[in-house]
Amino acid sequence: MSTVIEQIEQQIAKLSTKTVRKNTGVIRTVADGVAKIDGLSDVAYNEMIQFPNGVIGIALNLGTDEVGAVVLGDVSQLKEGDEVHTTGKLLSVPVGKPLLGRAVDALGNPVDGKGPIDSKETYPVEKIAPGIMARKSVSQPLFTGIMAIDSMIPIGRGQRELIIGDRGTGKTTIAVDTIINQAKINKVGAASGDPKFRPVYSIYVAIGQKNSNIVRTIAALEAAGALEYTVIVSAPAADNAANQYLAPFSGAAIGEWFMENGMDALIVFDDLSKHAVAYRQISLILKRPSGREAYPGDVFYLHSRLLERSARLDGKGSLTALPIIETLAGDVSAYIPTNVISITDGQIFLETDLFNQGIRPAVSVGLSVSRVGSAAQIKATKQVGGKLKGELAQFRELAAFAQFGSDLDAKTKAQLDRGGRIVELFKQPAFNPISIELQAVTIFALQKGYYDGFDIKKVTAAAVSIREFFATRKDALLTEIRTKAALDKDIEAKIVAALDEWKATYAG
Amino acid sequence: MSTGKPQIQQLARQLFKLSIVDGRLSDEQVAGVLAYVEKNHAANAVAILKVYRRLIAAEVAKGSAIVEHAGPVSDTLLASIGGALSQRYHRPVTTTAKANPALLAGLRVRIGDDLFESSVAGQLATLSASV
Repeated sequence: MSTVIEQIEQQIAKLSTKTVRKNTGVIRTVADGVAKIDGLSDVAYNEMIQFPNGVIGIALNLGTDEVGAVVLGDVSQLKEGDEVHTTGKLLSVPVGKPLLGRAVDALGNPVDGKGPIDSKETYPVEKIAPGIMARKSVSQPLFTGIMAIDSMIPIGRGQRELIIGDRGTGKTTIAVDTIINQAKINKVGAASGDPKFRPVYSIYVAIGQKNSNIVRTIAALEAAGALEYTVIVSAPAADNAANQYLAPFSGAAIGEWFMENGMDALIVFDDLSKHAVAYRQISLILKRPSGREAYPGDVFYLHSRLLERSARLDGKGSLTALPIIETLAGDVSAYIPTNVISITDGQIFLETDLFNQGIRPAVSVGLSVSRVGSAAQIKATKQVGGKLKGELAQFRELAAFAQFGSDLDAKTKAQLDRGGRIVELFKQPAFNPISIELQAVTIFALQKGYYDGFDIKKVTAAAVSIREFFATRKDALLTEIRTKAALDKDIEAKIVAALDEWKATYAG
Repeated sequence: MSTGKPQIQQLARQLFKLSIVDGRLSDEQVAGVLAYVEKNHAANAVAILKVYRRLIAAEVAKGSAIVEHAGPVSDTLLASIGGALSQRYHRPVTTTAKANPALLAGLRVRIGDDLFESSVAGQLATLSASV
């Protein structure tokens, strides 16, 4: 009780006795989460506006004699004639490590029922992205734990890699797998006591999603022990468009704090299609001129300024972004997908056909690309998986060609067989990321022909068995691969010996 | 003339500009504008005049300060407030006293869009918002 009294006394002491100046205005109309205000002659663009009953808004349209503001709260409490005033502050959200393991809304308020967040710092939601001089090229890997991605479409710390595909093709699963893998790596790194180890903290921004889906994602992260390294920013479909518009920027602010303070962070925007729709709604209500598909003219800038905030900073940390875009009927040439494709440093394209064929993750190797390339791969992965993408592309071409004829020469048959094995090898269940050393061993076994004796359909089971064998019995060797990050002759010999040992015991 | 809202606002702003002489609102010019609108039976006259009225009211408010007070306020204090505001806004400012017991103690001065708060009620509101 005495603490509460002390807090009030401190607050009273802080209150200055001098006159406070406020720039005021009067609400003229309120509709669909947007208020038109008379007055506010001194308001700045993006400035926070204080509405009655503690409701906050942001000034987005500064007209000659009217201000348009989005309301971030309960609009039903506002009415025509209510007085509002400027705050002199840009919108900020609480940031820092106390947010880890918590779910917050677009304003940083906790929504998980775990009590208040003890965060000492705040960070502006809108901020200019780091410039050229502050940046460093992307060269450190960020392992997703998904073999098809880590070996063929590598992602680096500070990169922006788009995950794109139709609904129900596993976009969120890839993002969640990546978050889970970061948590696994963080735990291994913390246990190793390596002073150079840099953990990756994750931010998952859910925009316009069903609450049930968000709860499922949180449950998956909690079950995998990844929630303690993750911040969830939630702006579900039930939230107003203003909150959905703001949520990615709030998430970026939380992530930037980690980056600016010398740490590495990963941010997932799930998804930016719904974000664009929320922004379109706000813009149309604000009567901004609409363009293609009724999106406002600055929808490109909306996403470019958001994604440009992901970077690897010289002498500081990094922020890696995995934006997600949902396509309709696989159409990547629609407005928003092409915009975000051109902004990001590559894309992971997920195909419905592959998903329905049981190839999961349904990564289309031909359409997926990482512009950072092998710069963000460790040497071990390059050694074992350097040619995989080419082989798989060749396989897809041959497989399409082979459908028209039955007489195939031995070389073509061998290529088709090998391609089929690679496809099987890359099948991976959801929420089950594989460590990079186990990935290296699995692909190494492919290169050395250890799966050749099995039927194609049994390759996945054999790969799982190899991984179990190494995880339970060859821990020292895995640690050696992880530490050296390359396969020298000595390690290769040890892997071959271990694989021979496995083969002698595996019945298939 | 188009009946679109932007055109109405544009026309009302033009009339408003005509009502300003040397940076001050001119009563004669306002009367002239009203006579012109009445004489010419302009389309959407009501809508235009509503916007015009709002612009004029905002301009008038810039030169007129309302001093809300909980206790007694002397004429000298009102004159001193008026003088300080005239100096700040570089225009003559008239002051009008208005009793408001809800302030508990102190003053609240409103001029144009600006509000100068120096009352106990205002400080309590700030306190309750921050706790």
